[in-house]
Amino acid sequence: MNAFDYWSIVQGALATVVLSVASIALGIPLGLGLALIRWARVPFFHRIVVAYVSLIRSCPAVTLTLLIFFALPQFGISLDPTPAAILALTLSTAAFNCEIWRAALINFPRDQYDAALAFAMPRRLRFRRIVMPQIWRAALPGLVSEMTLQIKSTPAVAVIGIVEITRAALRVGARTYDPLPPFVFALVLYGLIVFVLIRAQRVIERRQPVEARA
Amino acid sequence: MSVRIIRRDPVHSKQRTAVTLFRTCALALIATFGISHAAHAASAEEIKARGYITVATEDDYTPFEFVADGKNTGYDNDLLALVRKKIGVEVKQQVMPWSGILPGVTTGKYDMALSAVLVTDERRKTFDFASPTCEAITFYATKKGSSIKGPDDLVGKVVGAETGSAMLTDLKLFNEELKKKHGGSGIKQIVEYQSYPEAYQDLALGRVDAVANTQISLNSLVKTRPDTFLIGQPIGKPTYIAWAVKKGNTDVLKMVDAALLELRKSGEMYQLQQKWLGASYKDMPQSVN
Amino acid sequence: MMEHFLIVWQQRADVLSGLLDTLGLLAVAALASLVLGALLTPALMSRRAAIARLATLYVDAMRCAPFLLFVYLIYFGLPTAGIRLSNWWAGAIALILYNTAYMAELLRGAWAGLPAPMIEAARAYGFHGFSLVRRIILPQVFTVSLPMIGNQLVQIVKDSAFLTVIAVGELTHQMNGIQATYFIPFAAFITAVVLYWAICLVIEGGSGLLSRFAEERRA
Repeated sequence: MNAFDYWSIVQGALATVVLSVASIALGIPLGLGLALIRWARVPFFHRIVVAYVSLIRSCPAVTLTLLIFFALPQFGISLDPTPAAILALTLSTAAFNCEIWRAALINFPRDQYDAALAFAMPRRLRFRRIVMPQIWRAALPGLVSEMTLQIKSTPAVAVIGIVEITRAALRVGARTYDPLPPFVFALVLYGLIVFVLIRAQRVIERRQPVEARA
Repeated sequence: MSVRIIRRDPVHSKQRTAVTLFRTCALALIATFGISHAAHAASAEEIKARGYITVATEDDYTPFEFVADGKNTGYDNDLLALVRKKIGVEVKQQVMPWSGILPGVTTGKYDMALSAVLVTDERRKTFDFASPTCEAITFYATKKGSSIKGPDDLVGKVVGAETGSAMLTDLKLFNEELKKKHGGSGIKQIVEYQSYPEAYQDLALGRVDAVANTQISLNSLVKTRPDTFLIGQPIGKPTYIAWAVKKGNTDVLKMVDAALLELRKSGEMYQLQQKWLGASYKDMPQSVN
Repeated sequence: MMEHFLIVWQQRADVLSGLLDTLGLLAVAALASLVLGALLTPALMSRRAAIARLATLYVDAMRCAPFLLFVYLIYFGLPTAGIRLSNWWAGAIALILYNTAYMAELLRGAWAGLPAPMIEAARAYGFHGFSLVRRIILPQVFTVSLPMIGNQLVQIVKDSAFLTVIAVGELTHQMNGIQATYFIPFAAFITAVVLYWAICLVIEGGSGLLSRFAEERRA
């Protein structure tokens, strides 16, 4: 393995991080939106959300990526590999995040909400001042654990040719006919990325004030 | 002030969820069939207005197209560089695994498959081919020291090929012939790979006994690893390799054909063939449709 | 569009073989990882630091590694060690090793949550060591963790789709082959998605049934 090989795997790691960050950043608010639709029982859409979450949670990331990249052009939506990968990863993580946010919403103390209603708070203010600050703390551990799972499922996008870390390692191995060293190097890089995230999760959990955890 | 009372109905909620799911599925399927129309291939005026054509190239198919030191290189990519100078519009290239290239052209995602597409009668039904870029026959290759000395020795062996490739189709046809010749027993198992480098690695490891590919690619493989691999015999019929567009997309075809025939006349194509493929094919027809 | 689904129907032998491969991988991986996970859990909770640390290292390593990378390591690494397996078995072993760690971790969570008085009472009645684990602890642990085991089974099904990259003929691989040969990407992949959905609905339904059954019998 020469220097360029190491560099190509590092570039793959960068691609992995970019894809993960993009899909996480988009997936968390999208999951919140879906969870709110279910919580508020918006007449027609909450059933679609139920079906969507059930479908996507059982769909492998590989199959979803292949579907979005190869099948959507039949309906006129042709995406480049990177946007297609981000879309597939975002849709997948949004489904899981929806359940996490929903659990936090369901466990939200009803009496606070009723008190806000009694004070005639408009809906947006209710959400912004009362509901949101509390549920995001309750949802945080679940969201971070989903983030680690999301990072670990990014190799699925290798099937549409994106050179993320696994595909970069595969290419190096195919060229040198010595497959193990690049994969070990890729594993080390991956371990670092996940390790940083788990550390961040511990730090965030520890910094939460005790009262909010109650 | 109305406080919402939520009634929980444990017996019927599961039934309601199931009904919800079925209803949404039915709606989704109806919507799908309703709006099913393929993205259409661009016509000449659209291309002139747009200023570019989109092509898809395979990411790892030596010696036609592969990535070396971060750059797309190989016979097809070098040919593209020359065509770009002559064609008059921009060419936007996307690199991806083989299994997405031809379906990408049929669904209108790409104007052309700029790749080593083998011309077969089956493919002529769905695609129009540009002026051919070289000739090809499907061969098989084995590991050096293998017990397979001829095509008939493939009976009872495991053979690999790439998903969606003409070499895979040739292999399957050859398998039918073997079965007829040897009283029903043919190749033990045909393994489909996403791309050839993985097939070659499995061949080197002994997971497959042989790999089917064009003689050009296999010769290139044996040249780089003469101590590991050995090329065998042909198992398919001679044919041509050409770039493919969706059937009826004559505007893109005319542009590309004009550029390719110019390169043939100037001799640049034959020089590239000599450089990458080890031989020049001067007797190819101008059109293979 | 309808002709595309017709083509998929014509290729149903291949689709069925892919579906059976996926289910076969699920069955093998689920059983083996549950059994091995149940054996690993006492090691995780062992009071001997060396054993506990080794077991925790293994579980953490599996939780940090992405499954696809792990598959490639097994696939390319085993031949170097002299063990040559078929693609299917390399994939199955990767699934088993990977999910044993997750099963052990979730069984450990359930085990740690068992009420101490129950175990003390069992000890008072003369249950020790292996028979204590087999007759008192494990049944309780399994019934408590049933929903989570169900989730892990769904995860196994989804991870099995990764094995298409090492040419295992499971469902996604077969559908990719069909769409590449007949140029019908949407029909092929949507069929795969629906089939995966059906498998996971069955798993969730089964696990729901089993946990209701277990709830009735729980102390």
